Amino acid sequence: MTSDPNFTGAAGPSTEELIFDATEAQRRRRPSRIERVGDHLKREWQLYVMLIPTILWLAIFLYKPMYGLQIAFKDYSVFRGVEGSPWIGFEHFQTLFGNDQFLRALKNTIVISFYGLIFGFPMPILLALMFNEILKQTFKKTAQTIVYLPHFVSSVIIAGIVITAFSPSAGIVNTMLGWLGIEPIYFLTKPEWFRPIFVGTGIWQEAGFQSIVYLAAIAGISPTLYESAVVDGASRWQMMWKITLPSILPTIIIMLIIRIGNMLEVSFEMIILLYQPATYETADVVNTFIYRQGIQGGQYDLAAAAGLFNAVVAFVLVMTANAISKRYSRTSLW
Amino acid sequence: MRTSKLAAAAILGTTALTTPVFAQGIELPIVDEPLELSIHMHWARAQGYGPGGDTSKIYPVEEVAREKTNIHLVDQTSGRNTTEQSEAMNLLLAAGNLPDIVGGANIRQPVNEYGPQGAFVPLNDLVDEHAPNIKAWFDEHPEIWDAISAYDGNVYYIPYLPDGKYARAWYVRQDWLDKLGLERPENVDELYDVLVAFRDQDPNGNGQKDEIPFFVRDWEEVLRLLNLWDARSTGADVYHQFYLKDGEVVHPYAQEAYRDGLANIAQWYEEGLIDAEVFTRGSSARDYLLGEDLGGMTHDWFASTSGYNVALADKIDGFNFVPFLPPKSVSGQRIEENRRIPMKPDGWAISYTNEHPVETIKYFDFWFSEEGALLANFGVEGKTWDLVDGEPVYKTEVLESGEPVNSQMYLEGAQVYRGYPQDYRYEWQWTRDAAREGIELYDSEDLLVEQFLGVAFDEEEQAVFDKYYPSIQTYMLERQQAWILGTGDVKEDWDDYMSALNKMGYEDVLEVMNSAYQRQYAN
Repeated sequence: MTSDPNFTGAAGPSTEELIFDATEAQRRRRPSRIERVGDHLKREWQLYVMLIPTILWLAIFLYKPMYGLQIAFKDYSVFRGVEGSPWIGFEHFQTLFGNDQFLRALKNTIVISFYGLIFGFPMPILLALMFNEILKQTFKKTAQTIVYLPHFVSSVIIAGIVITAFSPSAGIVNTMLGWLGIEPIYFLTKPEWFRPIFVGTGIWQEAGFQSIVYLAAIAGISPTLYESAVVDGASRWQMMWKITLPSILPTIIIMLIIRIGNMLEVSFEMIILLYQPATYETADVVNTFIYRQGIQGGQYDLAAAAGLFNAVVAFVLVMTANAISKRYSRTSLW
Repeated sequence: MRTSKLAAAAILGTTALTTPVFAQGIELPIVDEPLELSIHMHWARAQGYGPGGDTSKIYPVEEVAREKTNIHLVDQTSGRNTTEQSEAMNLLLAAGNLPDIVGGANIRQPVNEYGPQGAFVPLNDLVDEHAPNIKAWFDEHPEIWDAISAYDGNVYYIPYLPDGKYARAWYVRQDWLDKLGLERPENVDELYDVLVAFRDQDPNGNGQKDEIPFFVRDWEEVLRLLNLWDARSTGADVYHQFYLKDGEVVHPYAQEAYRDGLANIAQWYEEGLIDAEVFTRGSSARDYLLGEDLGGMTHDWFASTSGYNVALADKIDGFNFVPFLPPKSVSGQRIEENRRIPMKPDGWAISYTNEHPVETIKYFDFWFSEEGALLANFGVEGKTWDLVDGEPVYKTEVLESGEPVNSQMYLEGAQVYRGYPQDYRYEWQWTRDAAREGIELYDSEDLLVEQFLGVAFDEEEQAVFDKYYPSIQTYMLERQQAWILGTGDVKEDWDDYMSALNKMGYEDVLEVMNSAYQRQYAN
């Protein structure tokens, strides 16, 4: 945002001066460390109280269950319990990686997520930019409400709509293809069509709702920037490229990192509702594999191993994305 | 309903139901002082031991049972907010604090897996010494005693034992046959001709070629057509199961007859004789296709399918959907593959924490006595039924209340998934005439085939099965659908398919299946 390549950031007092000030202050009063923490707590206790529910939630629902992850390395029996089951090392992981269907599910997970990222990620941004250009308020509000709506509809209903829309006999898609003289296609049993349908459905369902974040970011841009641009004779197009987009770039990058972290969390309930054995080839993802083998088959230990592997991959992905972003754009999660 | 009461009694004789044998020697009450036993009871209709799962209320049946036995069952059901029984069972086991009695749906697998580990009490000696009625029942059905045994040879649960023979049947639009001047198909070739005529000759008379000759609700029912080419689609009352072929356990989808049958199904599918959307139509298929006057033939439940004749009488002129005998296969055999299984994986077991196993088994035995069985099947005498000439007969207000009788029974506490012998007289009284005629028709020939009642694996066998079988079944179903849809040709792909199955461990799975089978059913 600045043209000076040697720009280093903070202006004002240098680090040495700040440290000097601080030690001076301490020398003058010298309160103990505990006293300072105590003071701080006394002053800001309301904030800490508000933090408690979140910490409890994290501890109970995210950290405590991690204790059970050890069953990925055990021959788990529900009756013997987590502690009573014998250790077996990496056997479940060996089983998984010796299973062609798991490897296929892994590949499908990555491909579907990647499609979702390429086609799904820019959509809400585009939508937000478009909404921002609408001048008439009533039209803007109506359009927004319409695109938010699918987000609030249950996956089961969405799947029903998709199945009906793509039905070869009564579906709107095949009806329209019929006008063009194309024979009806039984889309939901064709492996080559599964990913486009699934990713498309996801975009249709979520893009509108996800655009809220970007709209909020846009609302936070100072109007003075636009006013001066108007004075300088900038077109609307130029204002979008030179002001709006750069201003919401940090938001876009944070959202991208979060998205990459969740990349392997394909919404598997939707897949279960839409897939068939005939489309497993392209539709079966790690989570549906876990569901069939682990939960339905009662192999909790194997399912835990697959889930743990999924989590490790997701962790590596989010760390990598964060590091890249930190390096090139100075925006990062931590 | 009223007029057929006598007929019902007459037909009951011919349906050759296994008349329960009741031993004597049960002493009531079981205990002098009231004894409370806690119970986990989780099944589809109720998550908890109370009407509809509401445990603040007490089943009328339970009140009578308390009076007679002095044993009071008190609800202690886990996983009441899930409808998934295996999930509830796992919650129960993981929590470790087992109630005295563990009951409900689908308990066979967990009980036989964790029983030998010590979670449940073996019932063999208890039944021998303290349960004359249960013993008498199983002395008559030794094969079912084998079927419910765990791998260590012990029995850990007393099952719910369904009565009656038939489940699903073949149904056809008789009015369409009449209109086109056709007979009910007697064999596979005639069946083909009927389906072609349904497709081409506009039986619904709307001028459009929109008829769907053969449709099903669960796509797996399409596989029943395999029977017409002497192949099997499953060996039990659930889909895709192993079956017994000359005393050996094999999988139907690895047989040559299956290859030929599936090739024909694919052909019929391509020709438009089978619903093009069979894989995605789902549970509303029957409602929709019959209601819109589009569907010609199906394979579905006897009782519920016959109901459409009443429901659609006003909407579609002359609507007549009737059961017909399964068409003869290419080799001239007539089978109805689907039937009621004689024992279910549902029932109840005694957990290791129970301090009164003897009283509990006596209590279980009560439900196998004549008095207990009537209570478990029909509800409280004088309230829902009366004894007329020695037969339990439902009161008119029960039969004509507009609610299905089974739904009423579930709220009374009858037909609940405790371990008890079901009595088909209960269901016959509210079966519609069309279905009754169908059942008589099916009874006129010997159609039913032996069911594979499953095996109990030991830990090693279970590990082998768990390692290979889920992937094998996934692969089988994938190929199956692809072939039906015309992606690939089953005859050309067969050798590759079989070698892929063997590579995935099919032989190992067969080996553990058969070793477990031999151990369990040898005597």
